Amino acid sequence: MNTRKITTIQATAILISTIIGVGVLPLPLFAVQEGGTGAPLVTFLGLALGAIGLVILTQLGIRHPQKTIITYSEDIIGKWLGRFCSLFVILFFFILTGLTAREFGEVVVAGVLQETPLEITVIVMLLLACISCRNNINVFSYIHNFYLPIILAPVLIVVALSLKNANLLYLRPIIGTNLPDMFIGTLTISALFQGSFIMTIIIPSMKNPNQAIKASLWGISISGGLYLLLVIATVSVFGTEEMKQILWPTLELARTTAVPGNVLQRLDVIFLAVWVTAVFTTLFSSYFFTIYSIKQLLHIQDHKMLSYFLFPFIFILAMLPQNIFQMYEFIKFVGRAGLLITILYPGLLLMIDFLKNRRLKGSASQQT
Amino acid sequence: MVVFFKKNNRMKKPDIGKEKGPFREGGKPGSDAILSASLDKTVAEIQQILGHSDDLVMKYFKVFGQYEAAILYFSNLVKQDSINHDILKPLMYVPEHLKDRNRPLGQLADLIIKETLYHSQAYPERNMEKLIDYILCGETLLIVDGMTEAIRIGTRNVEKRSLTQPETEQIILGPREGFIENIQTNLALLRYRLPTPDFQVKTMKIGRLTKSTVAYCYLKDIAKETVVQEVEKRLSQIDIDAIMDVGYLEQFIEDNPFSPFPQIQSTERPDKTVANLAEGRVAIFVDGSPFALLVPVVFNQFYQTAEDYSSRFLMGSFVRMARMLALVFSLIFPALYVSFISFNPELLPTEFAIAVAGGRAGVPYPAVVEVLMIEVAMEVLREATVRLPKQVGGALSIVGVLVVGQAAVEAGLASPITVVAIALTTIGSFATPAYSAAFALRMLRFPIMILAGIFGLYGVVIGIIFIFNHMLSLRSFGVPYMSPVSPENYQGMKDVIFRAPLWLMPKRPSFLHGANRSRLGKTIKRNEFGNE
Repeated sequence: MNTRKITTIQATAILISTIIGVGVLPLPLFAVQEGGTGAPLVTFLGLALGAIGLVILTQLGIRHPQKTIITYSEDIIGKWLGRFCSLFVILFFFILTGLTAREFGEVVVAGVLQETPLEITVIVMLLLACISCRNNINVFSYIHNFYLPIILAPVLIVVALSLKNANLLYLRPIIGTNLPDMFIGTLTISALFQGSFIMTIIIPSMKNPNQAIKASLWGISISGGLYLLLVIATVSVFGTEEMKQILWPTLELARTTAVPGNVLQRLDVIFLAVWVTAVFTTLFSSYFFTIYSIKQLLHIQDHKMLSYFLFPFIFILAMLPQNIFQMYEFIKFVGRAGLLITILYPGLLLMIDFLKNRRLKGSASQQT
Repeated sequence: MVVFFKKNNRMKKPDIGKEKGPFREGGKPGSDAILSASLDKTVAEIQQILGHSDDLVMKYFKVFGQYEAAILYFSNLVKQDSINHDILKPLMYVPEHLKDRNRPLGQLADLIIKETLYHSQAYPERNMEKLIDYILCGETLLIVDGMTEAIRIGTRNVEKRSLTQPETEQIILGPREGFIENIQTNLALLRYRLPTPDFQVKTMKIGRLTKSTVAYCYLKDIAKETVVQEVEKRLSQIDIDAIMDVGYLEQFIEDNPFSPFPQIQSTERPDKTVANLAEGRVAIFVDGSPFALLVPVVFNQFYQTAEDYSSRFLMGSFVRMARMLALVFSLIFPALYVSFISFNPELLPTEFAIAVAGGRAGVPYPAVVEVLMIEVAMEVLREATVRLPKQVGGALSIVGVLVVGQAAVEAGLASPITVVAIALTTIGSFATPAYSAAFALRMLRFPIMILAGIFGLYGVVIGIIFIFNHMLSLRSFGVPYMSPVSPENYQGMKDVIFRAPLWLMPKRPSFLHGANRSRLGKTIKRNEFGNE
């Protein structure tokens, strides 16, 4: 029986729901902090940078349709160097998983459950991801596919409902003012697209790996479009100066909107509740990526026990930052450093692979 | 295929006990004994095995006035008239065409079966063990002195009830017949609707004591070959002493026994069974059970009814959406209520929030405890009414709902809004057509309620994600449980939330697909009436 069952649509869905996650809440703040009124532009540049990384990764995947980055890196740059680099990749996603869980916990504690200890909310969420990770990659894709509408809908609804408060004047000048800051902002934003790295383990299970590039582009443009929409909406409603005072502008946006007909007094709690799904899918992806890669690195047959084994370590890591500000500093730093792993490293791999192939072809043609 | 189907651990490896021998359970020595030629010896042997049951009839007579013979049968399992007229009469009174012929012992069996008996099911048999089986199932044995084989005659006639409306699946529009206990009648009901050579019925015997006839049927070329094979494999691995109902089988062949969700659908309706066969499913029957099992299933089947398809599509779709709403209600409504009241009252419009707070003023418990209490009371009440005779049941529900509910509110045990919320939930769970699926949600309501009590809305969402993830990981005979939603299939999606018009669904569901996928003719999708 063939195991290549993931369709192009499922791959797209996995990308979208992996990318859209905790980042939805602080994203407009990140963009505004560095870019000012150029926030939408910064977001767009971040999106473009993320897309380049993803395209590189997808190209690598298409060149090696049976393998993931963990296994083909061994072919390209040698067994030991490849494994050494893979270790960093795994470590990075391990940290990302922990930070996602932590960020989620912080939001929940600040937003809804003020009296519940942070540890409890983090543990519950991690446990949910941990148990779900025991499934195989097909179920993994079913789960992402299933939750996709639930992830897209709340953001779109909030954006649509908030449009009546928008003021286009807040968006100008579009170019922004401070170019070096904008560059850093671009890096920070594109770090939010790092979840797209999941593509590398999807391609070997895709029904049609040649369609992977299509899935990648659709996935990143839908999720990026949503992010862009969100930044434009928040900036046009609040203005840049006010936004710098708000930790989670998206949540604030949900708070200022009201449902017509007075069905519910406030939207933010509902928004947060549904947003839990988006966080879950992101956490699920990075958790899954971590254990799946460890499995491939160590050539383990079964990843079910690994999922439980990793759980306490991720939890401890999630508890490391002292407070919310340290956490966000940490997230930004790890995110930017991660670009080396998610964009530069695949870029180098692709280049070496390309040159190697050419040389092989060259020597082959010389011989004949 | 190995990857496709989860290994079923509950199934024992096929062992010797499976061969249906009548002596294995009774402790008698196993015998493959072949009949002896002596009548007395054979009869004595049979009597020794069967014991001296008073309903065992043994009648000695002479075949054609020539040969000593006996017939044996259980008087309660046959129709006496038929034995007298169709078997005894032609045997004792030599028929016209045989009068002048020589009737040697060597050809006697042939002569009796082919030229004498007025019965279509008469066969020679020489294996003692099998003969015992046949007589126990209601057949009549004819043993003639000097012949080394007996003749068995299919005279089984068991009382059965008449066809009635299915009690568990009532509908307003559509056929009224339901299955009954007798498997032959049930298969006849299917044959009557499916006069096609593609309709295949395979039978086997399961149960060391009950030796129940189990039949699985499918439409060749429409059902997936691998699914049919899997059904046969799983059924043939069952080794149990008694099968009382098709539910016994279900527990042996389902994929994940620890899941609260049913992975096999059971139905009482022949029309529904036929519709499912035509979609490519396999139906399983057991003699003695008025239910058929349908495999493989997907979750959306459990909130669909036969009526959805026979009524016009707008009506069917609307009713189906109402039912889905009821399904959601029965799962999360009390949990939402708890989390709104105890965690986020600010979500409610102010006037309503004040009204709720006013209603809850005298209640000493937190909302979770209050809701749990009423829910448990409701479960008890429901269980009590199910088994009562109809006349008493009405009275009890009045006492339960009106008196206890009203009194609980007045006594300050519960607030009126709680009672409303629980009532809605309970009614919602009654609106789910499949009892087993409704039961799953009824059960899962409690953990979600408790999560809501601890974490509020966040807990509810976590609970729901957990349940959905579980459902997404389930498989029924290799088919993902949540298809066609995820994995996605746009043809199939036309029949999930709403039901598209029949002429817009030209393909059979692809997740079940066998070789033949088209449901409708190729050229004409729908007659355009009245468009001139």
